[in-house]
Amino acid sequence: MYKRTLLLLLCVTVWAQQPASQPSTKNGEWPYYTADLKGTKYSPLDQINAGNFNQLEVAWRFKTDNFGTRPEYKLEGTPLMVKGVLYTTAGTRRSVVALDAKTGEVIWAYSLREGNRAAIAPRQLSGRGVSYWTDGKGDDRIVFVTTGYRLVVLNAHTGQPISNFGKNGIVDLKEGMVNGAGQQIDLETGEAGLHATPLVVKDVVIVGSSFKEGMTVVTHNNTKGTVRAFDVRSGKLLWTFNTIPRPGEFGNDTWENGSWATNGNTGVWTQMTVDEELGLVYLPVETPTSDFYGGHRPGNNLFAESLVCVDLKTGKRKWHFQVVHHPIWDYDLSSAPILADINVGGKAIKAVALPSKEAFLYVFDRVTGEPVWPIEERPVPQSDVPGEKTSPTQPFPTKPPAYGRQYVKVPDDLIDFTPELRAQAKDNVARYKTGPMFLPPIVGDNNLIGALTLGTASGGTNWPGAGYDPETHIVYAQANQSALFPISMRTPPEGFSDIRYVMGRNGTEFRVSEGPGFGSAADAPRQPRPAPAKAAPAKPVPAAAPAAPPAAAGALTIQGLSILKPPYAVISAINLDRGDLQWQVPYGETPDVVRNSPALRGMNIPNTGQAGSVGLVVTKSLVVLGDSQITTTPQHPRGAMLRAYDKATGKEVGAVLMPAPQSGSPMTYMVDGKQYIVVAVSGGAYSGEYIAYSLPSNN
Amino acid sequence: MIILTASLLAAQTTRSVWDGVYTSEQAARGSALYANNCASCHGTALGGGESAPPLTGGEFSSNWNGLTVGDLFERIRTTMPADRPGKLTREQDADVLAYMLSVSEFPAGKTELERQTEVLKQIRIEPKP
Repeated sequence: MYKRTLLLLLCVTVWAQQPASQPSTKNGEWPYYTADLKGTKYSPLDQINAGNFNQLEVAWRFKTDNFGTRPEYKLEGTPLMVKGVLYTTAGTRRSVVALDAKTGEVIWAYSLREGNRAAIAPRQLSGRGVSYWTDGKGDDRIVFVTTGYRLVVLNAHTGQPISNFGKNGIVDLKEGMVNGAGQQIDLETGEAGLHATPLVVKDVVIVGSSFKEGMTVVTHNNTKGTVRAFDVRSGKLLWTFNTIPRPGEFGNDTWENGSWATNGNTGVWTQMTVDEELGLVYLPVETPTSDFYGGHRPGNNLFAESLVCVDLKTGKRKWHFQVVHHPIWDYDLSSAPILADINVGGKAIKAVALPSKEAFLYVFDRVTGEPVWPIEERPVPQSDVPGEKTSPTQPFPTKPPAYGRQYVKVPDDLIDFTPELRAQAKDNVARYKTGPMFLPPIVGDNNLIGALTLGTASGGTNWPGAGYDPETHIVYAQANQSALFPISMRTPPEGFSDIRYVMGRNGTEFRVSEGPGFGSAADAPRQPRPAPAKAAPAKPVPAAAPAAPPAAAGALTIQGLSILKPPYAVISAINLDRGDLQWQVPYGETPDVVRNSPALRGMNIPNTGQAGSVGLVVTKSLVVLGDSQITTTPQHPRGAMLRAYDKATGKEVGAVLMPAPQSGSPMTYMVDGKQYIVVAVSGGAYSGEYIAYSLPSNN
Repeated sequence: MIILTASLLAAQTTRSVWDGVYTSEQAARGSALYANNCASCHGTALGGGESAPPLTGGEFSSNWNGLTVGDLFERIRTTMPADRPGKLTREQDADVLAYMLSVSEFPAGKTELERQTEVLKQIRIEPKP
């Protein structure tokens, strides 16, 4: 009897300690970028609710200006909260900071001075944050990737590198990155970086890779994407998954004419998710080089724009699904796949749901890779750009329905506030080629400006991803549905690039297009940018040519108004048991440009929503997300609102003023009985700041 | 003298971007500078790039309405061009800014946009009255 009691006591003790040793949203923590490993962004907290959201006040704020040589205006981090401490990245140096979760006071800060390596990195600024690992016995670590693509592991209590991880706490992620058929890239100037937070599961750190934006790049033979796993204790490489398969590997033949060897990119630049019990990792893979011309890589190009499921222990492919064949629209898989245990027609399914720029939610059985609802291959328009060979068909999910606009339907989708605006919009759109989804790029000129696509590069759900309530099986996703993107290709100037067609228009001056935050790292001003390694630099652009005025024929705005009809963006609730839309509402509120438009004076315009791509947090009763634009209305002074929507209906139930637009995905946590919501804001004149909101103490 | 200063100040504080605060010649100079220093990220027609914000239209005005030309000037002066802030002189920054104002169809006037931040802070950015 005595023994049994002791055993029982032991069991109870072990059981009671288990939740405490591994951090969890169940304890009020937020231990992963997406709240948990399943990508849900869900916290069961409910102290902040519909009844009191309007009473939220600023608990503390943390300005990031001094974490770098100059302020950052594009702060995208989502902090973690574990055991009363917030961990995140900050500033143009991409420093890591630990903050007291109740006050915002700095506990420690860490940064690595990488010089030119950071200054020329393809993914600059502070990034999306950090990851956390614990052995449950007091060895607690912070894991992150620097601007210059180094994996760093820090002691979570002191901010000091873990000396026996890699070399003094650092693994050089450029080691093992290759271009061509296997040529190691230069550790200093080689092209590779990452914004996303590493995926930390069990004792494994999994990191993706990303590269320069592919609009006017100088070579298609740039660095090849990889996903790699490292031992969190030692930094030892455990496995590598080649997103461009090598000879003998599955999918190599989808790079016809041996083009696997002469093309790059195809990284995983967003958040990955993992099923810890099944031991399966879900990789959302992006586009190959270049984003809009695939003439140097005939074939479907696996595993570009594919969701790939690999074994956590070995990195071996279990299944994959390519959502865009032979990608040429920059439909990068942008969002963390969401793991959802659903029930369809009485059958329990372990599913994975992938939000997308296409505004499709692709849903699969996450064990087998079988689509939960049929995904049909349907014929799509074909390219006439010389050398381009588009796929005859593309996959279209039959359920759930698209949760955002996917192409420009003429004239139905055009602005119709007044007949005059509609007529002008029709005139303007006539200067473009229009058509259904997967309308391929054209060689544009001054008569036909380009293929007018919508929701390609910046549409639907982008990097902040979506959220999911594991109790009700509903996905909540914000989707931008006014991201018009005219795509025109042209031959580049002699010597600029080895790619036959780059973005641009015949009959206009060639311009280089740079990607996000390029040249914005803390060290950027101190060093000149290097010339491209292989191709000769572009000829200098003559100084006298004025840029085309935006009022030219084919303008995509009329008197500042989008040529598209509202809503400009929406929030949707998608029921994964039924595969349908439960509700959909405009995101945010009517922009000032519409509210103050002289053309619309005296008219009563219902909420148009506002363009933008933002992340959200799902709580017990609310969906919380902030505006992407500043507004000034009779109801509130100049600012952007952090809004709460009723999860059941989509009705807005509260809002609180922020000084600038939401620029990072929000998170929530509870410490000492008080719930906080933290959101990164920045943009325009306002430099990066994390703001923590909570209820007044007497509430 | 004191009265004169006060009235001058009053006149300055009532200025907005609708009052002809730059010249067309200045905007033309700014156009060439824009093409060489700004267009690769913000686009040739100021429409923005994949992450660089547009410098005209609704999103632009939402960011800047209610602030001053001085705020916008400082943002450009201290952080742009992103790969080499400080590359352009104050005069050149003012020229680029004049070009941006011209693209947004704020009227040109008879005097050039000044290069002193404090003076520019007296010019409000606001919707058409």
